[in-house]
Amino acid sequence: MGAKVIKSILLIEDNPGDVRLLRAMFDEHGEHDTEMTSVDCMSAAEAHLVRHVVDIILLDPGLPDAQGLGAIRRAHAAAPRLPLVVLTSLDDEMVAEQALQEGAQDYLIKGQIEVRGILRALRYAAERKRLERLKDEFVSTVSHELRTPLTSITGSLGLLMGNAAGNLPPPMARLLAIAHSNSQRLVRLVNDILDIEKMEAGRVVFSFDRVEVRPLVAQAIEANRGYAEGYGVRVRFDDAHGAAADVRADPDRLLQVVTNLLSNAIKFSPANNEVMVAVEKSADTVRLTVRDHGPGIPVDFKPLIFEKFAQADAGAARQKGGTGLGLSIVKQIVDRLSGEVGFADAPGGGTIFHVELPCWDHVASLAIDRQAKPGAPRLLLCEDDLDTALTLREQLRQAGFATDFAYSAADALVRAVTTLYHAILVDIHLPDGDGVSLIVRLRALPQYHDTPIIVVSGDAGSGRDDPRATKLSVLDWLNKPVDFDRLVRLLAKPVGPEASRRPRILHVDEDNAVARALSEIGDVVTVNSIEDAQRALKTSDFDLAVLDVALAKGADPDLLPELRDSKGHVIPVVVFSANGANLASDTQVPAALVESHTSMDSLMATVRDRLASRTTNVFREVV
Amino acid sequence: MTDIRVLLVDDEPDIRDVVDVSLGLDPEFNIRACASGADALVTAAEWSPAIILLDVMMPLMDGPTTLANLRKNPRTASIPVVFLTARTRTDEVAQYISLGAQGVLSKPFNPMTLAAAVRGYLPASAAPYAP
Repeated sequence: MGAKVIKSILLIEDNPGDVRLLRAMFDEHGEHDTEMTSVDCMSAAEAHLVRHVVDIILLDPGLPDAQGLGAIRRAHAAAPRLPLVVLTSLDDEMVAEQALQEGAQDYLIKGQIEVRGILRALRYAAERKRLERLKDEFVSTVSHELRTPLTSITGSLGLLMGNAAGNLPPPMARLLAIAHSNSQRLVRLVNDILDIEKMEAGRVVFSFDRVEVRPLVAQAIEANRGYAEGYGVRVRFDDAHGAAADVRADPDRLLQVVTNLLSNAIKFSPANNEVMVAVEKSADTVRLTVRDHGPGIPVDFKPLIFEKFAQADAGAARQKGGTGLGLSIVKQIVDRLSGEVGFADAPGGGTIFHVELPCWDHVASLAIDRQAKPGAPRLLLCEDDLDTALTLREQLRQAGFATDFAYSAADALVRAVTTLYHAILVDIHLPDGDGVSLIVRLRALPQYHDTPIIVVSGDAGSGRDDPRATKLSVLDWLNKPVDFDRLVRLLAKPVGPEASRRPRILHVDEDNAVARALSEIGDVVTVNSIEDAQRALKTSDFDLAVLDVALAKGADPDLLPELRDSKGHVIPVVVFSANGANLASDTQVPAALVESHTSMDSLMATVRDRLASRTTNVFREVV
Repeated sequence: MTDIRVLLVDDEPDIRDVVDVSLGLDPEFNIRACASGADALVTAAEWSPAIILLDVMMPLMDGPTTLANLRKNPRTASIPVVFLTARTRTDEVAQYISLGAQGVLSKPFNPMTLAAAVRGYLPASAAPYAP
């Protein structure tokens, strides 16, 4: 027996009476060395799970910050490897069943079970979880081991079928064709099992990118042409050359979704029929539909369609070479792509499957936080999973921060130079590189030399082990799910408005020498026009703007007095002349002219002077 | 006739045989097979193949380690290496490429098109195609 003794229980329960009751019962009946910790909300539970070793979770899913299946899902996501037992007063068979599907090991009803029963249920749940894990590992190992002999078998049969060993007599060719097609089916099955196992264990890394849906669909149709011909089915894609429909997705995984939907539709179509594929773009989403003329999905099978090994008529489906995993994989992938998948009966018979994915433009427009309170300190979150990013933004907004997203390392670098962020949160795994390399490049920018950078990742440890990590002064390495209270404490200190910090200077000019000199004094953001300056001011706060008179003159004179920060305060502007032009005659800059060769020193002196007195009122200075 | 030397490295004898027959469909390919990374380092240095097909999961010295060792020896440093492996997730492929591999071919492979796929990875000078 490898069953583990339960040493620590995490009780997630917001009713103090129930907590007291359970504690008293455990003290009386429990094992002596079993320790119980209780928390009264899900975020506290998530924080606890990050920092402490827990053997089992006992959850009442009616919490102030998480309810019902959502609570179960969050608890399971926070600790997918831990056994989870639900203890609730909601006596509902359907909810109980869903709870088990969401990863709970048991569903106990308060009042219907006494303490010995609870203790026993916990022990059994832990044992079930252990066996489940062994099974998953076994499946993974076996699938890998199966591929090696399969490579030899499909390879040999493929060579024989290709007449690489000479022409075959027809009866032999027929038997070999059977062996060949079945060996390929075995390969598909092994691949599907591996895929599903990896996705369930959260081990699949998605590389998000801008993907044009139509060419990808055309590619999937092309790849399945032979398969369709085998069933005597034609695939029609009328709008292959329609308007661009770009989504944010992992192209490999999206191809897998389209391929699975296509092969499903082909498989269940009667011969001499058509499968119709369409792509439609709306404001926020792109919708892909695949319509077949098959027998349709039986009513009692509809709720099970996306489950593993689900086949309406198992015998018939097996004859068609299906594995029963295709749609389950589709569902898992689409969930990870922040999309939605569903199906409906087609008018006149058959089924229409649809997949809806967020448009690229929509996702891109979400990158800038436009709903935060004016003046909220602005953070940059480098994270490629949209759902994770949106959840964190929502939490951070309540804590008083604005959060912009960068979906890739390249994205992050572009944003970092156009906006001056108060702090940067970095995931270790980004689609175009690792987070540590990104931090190295951020630290190389003078304005981010001292900015707080926090790593927030499912795998923070691997980043911390990177030999470069020690030199990057990363404020903290947080694992997902994020210990949110700790994150806010970290952010509160260095980015608070009263914190002593390097001054932030907005430099409106095209002269690098001035930018270099200014970066000795403070953190500098350089832009090329008054319009860009105003854009930068919308997303970052500055203590001072330094402006080349050539740009000031070229600009709309009404814009100049309008350099305001995001709180609406007009910020001080120092105007200078890079080429020694006469400023005195300019009505907006009524002051002395500076000689070219001394301008740099005196400019810097003025900048220092103005920054030193930045608590005083708004002023405008001409050098 | 042109002689294009292809070195295959795989610890599975059956897979070596199947790959040997598959590549043999291209009459210009001259194929040798090694059963281990250590063996491959010696053969590559002595025989100077035009390209190396390398398995990833092998006992003692795995594919990535073999590649790193090939790159250390000036005699083998510039020979293109293509992984032939069942491990072809996007992130795994990206990792092989970052190690300096020319490309990745997945197992199980299509034996009738394997030779053409390998040709695709040959430097232009080494592969004058004359059917």
